[in-house]
Amino acid sequence: MNHSAAIPVPAGYTGAREASRLYSWVATVDHKRIGILYIGTAMLFYVIAGIQALVMRLQLAAPENALISPSAYSQLFTMHGTTMIFLMGMPMLIGFANYLVPLMIGARDMAFPRLNAMTYWLVLFGGLLLYFSYIAGGAPAVGWFSYAPLSEQPYSTSPGVDYWIVGLLVLGVSSIAAAINLIATVLSLRAPGMSMRKLPLFVWMSLVTAALIIFALPALNVCIVMLLVDRQLGAQFFRPVLGGSAMLWQHFFWIFGHPEVYILALPAFGMISEVIPVFSRKPIFGYPFVAASGVLIAIYSFGVWAHHMFATGLGRTGDMFFAASSMLIAIPTGVKIFNWIATMWGGSLRFTTSMLFAIAFLVQFTIGGLSGITFATVPLDWQTTDTYYVVAHFHYVLIGGTVFAVYAGLYYWFPKITGRMLSERIGRLHFWLAVISFNLTFSVQHVLGLIGMPRRVYTYPDLPRWGSLNMLSTIGAFLSAVSVLVLLWNIVRSLRRGRLAGDNPWQAWTLEWATTSPPPEHNFERLPPVRSRRPLWDLAHPENPDPPIRGEGKTDSPYLEKNFVAITSFILSEATFFLMLIAAFVYYTLSLRLGHLAAANLDVGLAAIFTVCLLSSSFTLWRAERNLHRNNAKRFRLWLAATIALGLVFIIGQGREYLHLLYRGVTINSNLFATSFFTLTGFHGLHVIVGLTGLMIILGLAFAGDFKKGRAEAVRTMGLYWHFVDVVWIFVFSSVYLAGPRL
Amino acid sequence: MTTQQFFLSGWDWDPFALAVGAAMVAGGAIADCGLRIADFKRGPPAGVVKRMGFLVIAALIFLIAAVSPISVLANGYLFSAHMMQHMLLLLLVPPFLLLSLPAVASAPTPGRSVWRMVERALTWPGLAWLAGVGAMWLWHAPALCNAATASQPVHRFQIVSLLLLGTLFWWPIVGPRTERRLMPLVGILYLFTACFACTVLGIFITFAPISVCPVYLHPMDRLGLLPLIRGDWGFTPTVDQQVGGLLMWVPACLVYLSAIMGLLARWYGSDEGEVAAAPAEAGPGLAPSDPVPENS
Repeated sequence: MNHSAAIPVPAGYTGAREASRLYSWVATVDHKRIGILYIGTAMLFYVIAGIQALVMRLQLAAPENALISPSAYSQLFTMHGTTMIFLMGMPMLIGFANYLVPLMIGARDMAFPRLNAMTYWLVLFGGLLLYFSYIAGGAPAVGWFSYAPLSEQPYSTSPGVDYWIVGLLVLGVSSIAAAINLIATVLSLRAPGMSMRKLPLFVWMSLVTAALIIFALPALNVCIVMLLVDRQLGAQFFRPVLGGSAMLWQHFFWIFGHPEVYILALPAFGMISEVIPVFSRKPIFGYPFVAASGVLIAIYSFGVWAHHMFATGLGRTGDMFFAASSMLIAIPTGVKIFNWIATMWGGSLRFTTSMLFAIAFLVQFTIGGLSGITFATVPLDWQTTDTYYVVAHFHYVLIGGTVFAVYAGLYYWFPKITGRMLSERIGRLHFWLAVISFNLTFSVQHVLGLIGMPRRVYTYPDLPRWGSLNMLSTIGAFLSAVSVLVLLWNIVRSLRRGRLAGDNPWQAWTLEWATTSPPPEHNFERLPPVRSRRPLWDLAHPENPDPPIRGEGKTDSPYLEKNFVAITSFILSEATFFLMLIAAFVYYTLSLRLGHLAAANLDVGLAAIFTVCLLSSSFTLWRAERNLHRNNAKRFRLWLAATIALGLVFIIGQGREYLHLLYRGVTINSNLFATSFFTLTGFHGLHVIVGLTGLMIILGLAFAGDFKKGRAEAVRTMGLYWHFVDVVWIFVFSSVYLAGPRL
Repeated sequence: MTTQQFFLSGWDWDPFALAVGAAMVAGGAIADCGLRIADFKRGPPAGVVKRMGFLVIAALIFLIAAVSPISVLANGYLFSAHMMQHMLLLLLVPPFLLLSLPAVASAPTPGRSVWRMVERALTWPGLAWLAGVGAMWLWHAPALCNAATASQPVHRFQIVSLLLLGTLFWWPIVGPRTERRLMPLVGILYLFTACFACTVLGIFITFAPISVCPVYLHPMDRLGLLPLIRGDWGFTPTVDQQVGGLLMWVPACLVYLSAIMGLLARWYGSDEGEVAAAPAEAGPGLAPSDPVPENS
């Protein structure tokens, strides 16, 4: 690519450093390379988590086994679960989305390539933080959902849980940033003609998953931040002994935890929806339903988390509602299975390894879904909760479902990514080994669970048949390991001497196959016209094209400005974060009758004055923006400076409030009112400071002569964030200062 | 009194409620004619039966909410029945009422600009969203909830306000002015965030250690129903409030979700219609008027 005339190449630049192979990977902002880094990292953690699983299975191979200590076993299942979900599942699916979404919509790159690189390196950093706990005094040993009060200070004294929290925070930030990037990419950078109703289903599902991430991950961030406050600052959010609520941890965790299941499942649905039509030589049956049901499943997943808590005593009323609503979610998922079957029906099937894995996905995922429905039946749930029946169920969903779909996707897109085909012969071996070993490992665990074997216990007594069933499961696990080795062998071998793929080895129909394999750095030399959902079919069969789908234009599929999309998504995510913090404040103040503490400690009058300052800063910022549009640079700077001054006054007011409280001996660990007050207002204050920093940078740029011609989007983006911070304060002020003393 | 006896006899033919219902139906029918006269590019009068069907459904749901045993129970006995009434009036009657109006594609004459301005202001999506969510939240502030149950005029005002605010809320989704409807993805966000706000309140009511509407704690047993409610049905005040909260949490969300489903169906369904109308649309693939995505 030619260098732009506007940015001269620095003196002494030779390009040699960029050409070095390692540096080029470390410094890359190319979505394809970042995607490969994501997928490779996920594979690495997949192997690590697999080894952990093998050690656990060895320990469980025989009754009363003493291969590893109970605490080592607890660390293993915690790390295995956390790794598989946060370091294998999510990076793998986000990695595929990273690689494929820009190609499939005909874009040059993601909307924010540097942000994209940051999200990848945060994944690696988060993973290293989590694993550093092994060196720093013991890995977390509290399970992947880290139930309080077990995860609290007196019960988990090693820093393992702290590393778990910080690692997950880093991974959470990374996921949210990646999701924002994906949303902005899909809404802003689609090729001409690629309207929202023509999106390939993998893109659509990635978009829905990204939306799910921006609403679900903040819930995790809130609860682990609260746990961190408990552990590091001696507070008592989740410590029932001191008035905290262990139930609130479960509620907050599962508000995240249930949508997380769909964050791991929806992209898999998307992959299956790409693979099955191509190898059935038919367009997908009922595209609208597959696309729409993804949205429904995503939204509905927020409404059923309480079914993870039937055993906690929600009360009969709650149980009934959530049993019914949990069963409902099976309907859209179940109908999707029929969509895929109907796609295959009457098609000319090609049983490639990819297709075989897609078919295995249908079977295994259905089994996992059916055992899932048994959990919606409350009395059955009480019997089987925390047994191996649960372990069997979610492995059928996540291995038989997600991992098999990823395998299908890997065999399908490997030729595009590397330019070489994976060996079908070795692929078949991999397939049969994977399916047989998987079912051997986990189908017997249904039985073990039903006859009462509890999960997360390092050994078991020598009861009839327990030993033999566990031995079968262990044999299956080792066969699974062999199947992964076969896959790795296939990858390594095919990278060296696999058959060359060509542009479109499967005669597929979506845009990523319209470019070379592997694609050039700029993705496309030229794009085919996009008139239907299968642009390459239309190109290959001009005499019999698919019926065109319209719907371009403003009302249907606008091309939104990417900064606007990104900041809006970010604001929605942050709003969820604050909503949950406010909910926690109201919950504690109300349930423990702490209103008198609010009345005794807070100065409502003064706070009201500072509130007026903060809110009027929104007005001054609006004036500043108006003047920017009128090209009145001087007034723009003046109003912007006024905004910053008002924000500073507010922060000083908050600081005064804090000092006042500290002077009276009210600190974050005094009582639950103080804890939730400081956590909530502290996070708001942090956001104000971030906003102020942003505004100051803009003011600096304005004085340096920026924003003269256009480029108003930077100001608008920062402005939206600032208005958001102000609106949040309205809610914080009314719940803490106005309602708080009356609770 | 047995359950069966109650459901047979417990109908409250309140003239005010009946009047509101009649006004609603008449208003719907008149608006139907009016809008069709205002609509210059009126197509064939298709879908009259379907629209009348929606009007009948709206009227029936209104009757269930306002005169059936649910209304009797809501009137001082059961918070959960009140919640049912609240949801039917806010979430179900208005959309069916709006669906019964004919779609107006074209703008009316520019002369009546005051009307247009009022309509624009009232149906601005942000305001409409606040109307729907506000009606949910405000009427469950303990003081207002108590007042609406204890005093008949306030209760009547509540019924009318729920219908009106509900109409405002649903206008951007199923309103008759199709060009003013939200685009599908924004509509999904609109409904999802409303569902979110409603869920939060539902969760609060379900788990709140205090009574949201204390008037229901010790009902005045005018009709001798308390033994039936507390004994046969097992509705203690705690259970009652939990059911109320859960109704708002789970089924209310299902209403929004169904609307999202409808929105998506309409969006994807519009393909076939357009294609059928213009089958041979074979323009150039890269239309020059299309914005070219920024490739950086």
